[in-house]
Amino acid sequence: MTASVRVVAEDRTDARFREQVLPELPVLYRVARRLTGADADAEDLVQDTLVKAYRAFDRFDGRYLRAWLLTIMRNHHRNQLRKRRPDLLEDEVAQRLPGRGHDARVDGVDERAFRDDFDPAVRAALASLSTKHRAVVALVDLDGLTYREAAEVLAVPVGTVMSRLHRARGKVRAQLEGRLVEDVN
Amino acid sequence: MRRRPQLPLPPEPDCQQVGAVLQSYLDGELGPDDAGIVAAHLEHCQRCEIESATVSKVISVIRRQRPDLDPAPIARLTGFIDELEREGTDTRE
Repeated sequence: MTASVRVVAEDRTDARFREQVLPELPVLYRVARRLTGADADAEDLVQDTLVKAYRAFDRFDGRYLRAWLLTIMRNHHRNQLRKRRPDLLEDEVAQRLPGRGHDARVDGVDERAFRDDFDPAVRAALASLSTKHRAVVALVDLDGLTYREAAEVLAVPVGTVMSRLHRARGKVRAQLEGRLVEDVN
Repeated sequence: MRRRPQLPLPPEPDCQQVGAVLQSYLDGELGPDDAGIVAAHLEHCQRCEIESATVSKVISVIRRQRPDLDPAPIARLTGFIDELEREGTDTRE
């Protein structure tokens, strides 16, 4: 391939990258905010993800772009965490997603996610969920990920996402049952 | 105990089989054939239809809590992609 032909081909790759990745930015940023717990860190994480994705875009098979991007983001975030906190266990990484643990930054994200002026009973029900259940609800219901995409972020099987989601929504339902019956009927 | 989803669904599933895939149906995670079978079941089964409406309401009240996204970081990230492409092209040149 001559140099000029190569540049044209690479320009086409650039155009495809931009066209395909731009619509995914809001979801990437939402998930990054959940992973990092801070707006500035989230932006950095998305930027790092974009650089890695851009470099690897020629090798992307064209299927499940969002899941591919989320996997890059999750792996990069885990590597960063390992460097900063090598003592952190793998499953603790997943639990740091919208959790209620000791990390104030993560608590901050939760507050942002759930503080909207809406039925306090819904907020209370969501706040009462365990960290694992809340993470799945946040990724699927608040961030709009599919089961497969949430599974990529959490590094768990799709079936685990489904069962946690079922259980989490069941708990919310149990706490809201009276109001829901009124609404449905 | 929740029954494990068995896919694909038979043409005329029972209520338990529908219940096992109801969440996936409401989340848009079923394929078109299975989704059509669930929809047809809900048409004629009042018990499952009420269950579906209730689960749907739970999902809806949770999703209404979705926080608005600040457009500023998205705009900055869009600019970052432009910059990335410019630098990428420059490097290749």
